[in-house]
Amino acid sequence: MTQQHEKLSAFMDGELDDNGFVDSIKNDSESLAKWRSYHVIRSGLRKEASVMPEFDITAQVAAALEQEPTVLAPKAGWKSLPIVNKVVPLLRQSGQLAVAASVAAAVILGVQQVNQQPAAEEPFTTFQTPMIPGMPQTGMAPVSLEQSNIVPNNRSGDSDALLQKRRQINALLADHEQQLKLKQAEEQSQQAAESEPNQP
Amino acid sequence: MTMQVLFDVKQRTARAVRLLFLTTLISAAPAVIHAQEDAQSEPERITEPNLALADAPRQNLSGLEWLQRLAQINRTSNFEVSFVLTRAGQEMTPYLWRHAVLEDGLEAEQLNLQNGPGQEMIRLGNVVSVFEPDVQPYSIYASAISGPLPSDLLYNPGALSDAYQFITIGRTRVSGRAAQQLRIVSRDNKRYNYQAWLDEETGMLLKLDMVDLQGSLLEQIQVTAVNVTEQPSPYFSRINPQALPGAVAMTPKPRQHQWEVKFLPVGMEEIKRETRRLAMTGQVVEYKLFSDGMVDVSVYVQPAQDSLDSDVVLRHSTNTFLSLTNGQVQITIIGKIPPQTAYEIAHSIGAAGE
Repeated sequence: MTQQHEKLSAFMDGELDDNGFVDSIKNDSESLAKWRSYHVIRSGLRKEASVMPEFDITAQVAAALEQEPTVLAPKAGWKSLPIVNKVVPLLRQSGQLAVAASVAAAVILGVQQVNQQPAAEEPFTTFQTPMIPGMPQTGMAPVSLEQSNIVPNNRSGDSDALLQKRRQINALLADHEQQLKLKQAEEQSQQAAESEPNQP
Repeated sequence: MTMQVLFDVKQRTARAVRLLFLTTLISAAPAVIHAQEDAQSEPERITEPNLALADAPRQNLSGLEWLQRLAQINRTSNFEVSFVLTRAGQEMTPYLWRHAVLEDGLEAEQLNLQNGPGQEMIRLGNVVSVFEPDVQPYSIYASAISGPLPSDLLYNPGALSDAYQFITIGRTRVSGRAAQQLRIVSRDNKRYNYQAWLDEETGMLLKLDMVDLQGSLLEQIQVTAVNVTEQPSPYFSRINPQALPGAVAMTPKPRQHQWEVKFLPVGMEEIKRETRRLAMTGQVVEYKLFSDGMVDVSVYVQPAQDSLDSDVVLRHSTNTFLSLTNGQVQITIIGKIPPQTAYEIAHSIGAAGE
């Protein structure tokens, strides 16, 4: 064992050229602990250390990770979601949900294509809600879709299908924002009509 | 996990130190009582905490009582509040918020976005007028301005009780004021949670955090200045109600849908359903809006042929966007809810009446 520690010490100083030695440390928890505390001591001597020797969180974190419940997520993995995969490489790095970059890119497109509405021939008449002067169905500004500095990258590489997809996502998000603004309007309109029947 | 715990310990220590500091202040500082300033004077920035005014009985208020006090203040007093809104990964947005009860008893409210071209919303009674760049001004009927602060939290906290619990945490210091800290926790752990800090003296909201289920911060509203006055702000006397755009009445046209949502977080209710076209693409969608008072969730159902071809989960600002294609239909859920909850809602959608 002492010999092992000497070897360990030598290895740390770069004086031991034995690849097999790394594996033997890895499989021996005592040596591993020694290895860690040597490093802490060395950092301490070089005044780099901001850690205490007992402040060894790696083992605890590993244990905690094992107990962590699996996060519920859609069956399709993140990488298999095409839009996410192509548009936001950040996703893979951070493992977070996709940021709004894909949406930001679509804003411009949404505005350009706003006027290409299909003729209103379907039997859905409900959309003729009273026109709010500021919110015509066509000229609606892309509400609050990301004012930050995310720049769409490799636009040229985007396929039509992808742009189409962004446009649809964008349309839904914009609609959601608009619905929130108008959330109270219907209920309150009724109340207003009841309380002031003479008002137009 | 462990990191979180360590961090908590650190925070707790910091809090303890702060509390200690507060206690020292309270015991040592002589009673400094600011007279309420004249409305005509310039708004005075709060520089000193009026800690001496924090009286003992308030310590025993329950979480809901604190929020009811907040609602009372928000409906009946004249105030001017500056706050900043911060969202994860975005720039801060500063707002100015004024409220007044005018001489004829009419409630007036203003919310102004202070950066960039801005956005101004003015409410007189139950009519909200909106002024935005690139859009004609318009007015709609609404009993509160739809801003970054949930209106039920400000005016009708009782409505939140079905969905959330209110837990008082204790006293801290926020924006230089002695504050009471509350946690607003969803009853089923299916939504994001909140922390609110209320001014002990006036009851005003000083800070509101929205945190995800792991406790990391998603959105923060931090008040930077509060000014409660006896008289309404002179700003409101400059509004000419005749010059505001006329309010547009919107009559609901509820439509029957062939589908229904069978899973919803506790306390969340349907507040709207309709069928219409999306403004930007002209696609026809069937739409339901759900709300629990703090968050709103939109559910869209549309034919699968104009669908996204693939399932998508995104986070846009603090909204979760989840879209699934399920047989003949594409289902989209949007709202400030955890992705898992959006997924559960989407998967619970089935034919109506089953």
